[in-house]
Amino acid sequence: MSLDPFNAFLYRSEDAKPTSGTDPGSVPALRGSCVGVKDVIDVAGMPTTAASKLLHRVPDRDAECVARLRAAGATIAGKLNTHEFAFGALTNSPHFGPALNPWDPARTTGGSSGGSGAAVAAGLVDLALGTDTAGSIRIPAALCGVTGHRPTVGLVPVDGVLAVAWTLDAVGPLARTAAECRRALEVMAGRALPAEAPRRVGLVTRLFEQADPAVAAACEDAARALGETQPVELPLHEEISTITQLVMLPEAAAVHLPWLRTRLADYGPDVRARALAGLLLPARAHVTGLRARSWVRSLWARELGDFDVLVAPAMPIVAPRLDAIPADYRLLIMPYNSPAALLGLPVTVVPCGFVDGLPVALSLTGRAGEDGVTLAAAEEFQRATDWHRFEPETEELYTNPVSSDERG
Amino acid sequence: MGPESNLVSTLRALARQQGVDPTDEDLRGVLDFLERILPALTEIEERLPPEAAP
Repeated sequence: MSLDPFNAFLYRSEDAKPTSGTDPGSVPALRGSCVGVKDVIDVAGMPTTAASKLLHRVPDRDAECVARLRAAGATIAGKLNTHEFAFGALTNSPHFGPALNPWDPARTTGGSSGGSGAAVAAGLVDLALGTDTAGSIRIPAALCGVTGHRPTVGLVPVDGVLAVAWTLDAVGPLARTAAECRRALEVMAGRALPAEAPRRVGLVTRLFEQADPAVAAACEDAARALGETQPVELPLHEEISTITQLVMLPEAAAVHLPWLRTRLADYGPDVRARALAGLLLPARAHVTGLRARSWVRSLWARELGDFDVLVAPAMPIVAPRLDAIPADYRLLIMPYNSPAALLGLPVTVVPCGFVDGLPVALSLTGRAGEDGVTLAAAEEFQRATDWHRFEPETEELYTNPVSSDERG
Repeated sequence: MGPESNLVSTLRALARQQGVDPTDEDLRGVLDFLERILPALTEIEERLPPEAAP
């Protein structure tokens, strides 16, 4: 009997159980909520490892976002698996093994908050915290069929959270519903978020066209529930992925410099490669990235400023098999995740259908600071649809778990 | 020494000046990445409006 057949947890507290079946709305704030915390966020008394070989610290205080959840009555269930140092989109740490997707344990959860996506999808927790630098909440939410919200940068405090890239990082919730995400986000932000329904919704046509046709079709069908939409193009969309890399990689190299100097061999190969790339980019790359970000921001305001929400498939594909991750996986998903990352925008991801039994999702992107609007659109979508109610069949995996040899 | 070896040596020197000692394989990976991203960087720089400030 396995208690965690999805390798979602890296550390688990004994005394926290999910409250599935109760109505979280019937109790104040988060009382009784069982929360899993991505293992780059400090929880007092629990080890922070970032799924790495390099880091093992047991902090004596909670990250501020965790402290606020506890103060609202939440119980912390443990620390959740992540891509090593949250610096990648798979959750396949060479040191702790991959998180397995509850919809098919031969498939990736995506990442980097893959343990968070798996734990919510499997009902191991009521709510999970993730971090999102360039898609790390949105990707696992989409591939695991749960709701996730990447907040506006700065809305949730990040002290006590291991940085990936300071100017891009955001901490946010994953849960079954947008209403639960809102409740957690309001607690972490320390204020209510106005629930204003969007009046003007744009459809990012290029992201539908570039997606797998079956994924695009499911997303197009689902998007009708959002009412009238207008086609839009994102300014500099082709360049945004590169610009995001120019900003992110040097910042990540700066975060990791002490370990790059002393423990380089202890990194997994993909994270080491990205950190070294950031180290060896010329200094002008970061400056150009920051300048280009303000250029994109001004074009975005001019061309898309009238739209309250932009809709697109959250991911262009369903969860790939762990033993067959496409060679161009990162390039494929960057156009879906980089724009909001670069501009620090809020995005709510909602399950919106299935392709071959695997979940697909819509992303709802809003203006900076208007998290309440994307959440309101998601809440309205979930009142009109029931995709968020589907749960994976996982019972057999508890008695017959996937062996570590089969995990890819 | 071929041109790639020279470039790898240059990258190694840059890394060592920052206190980091990567392997040849690491540096070849970085070189591949730089060969892809530097032309894109230059292209973005050429298109950036002069008034765009960080």
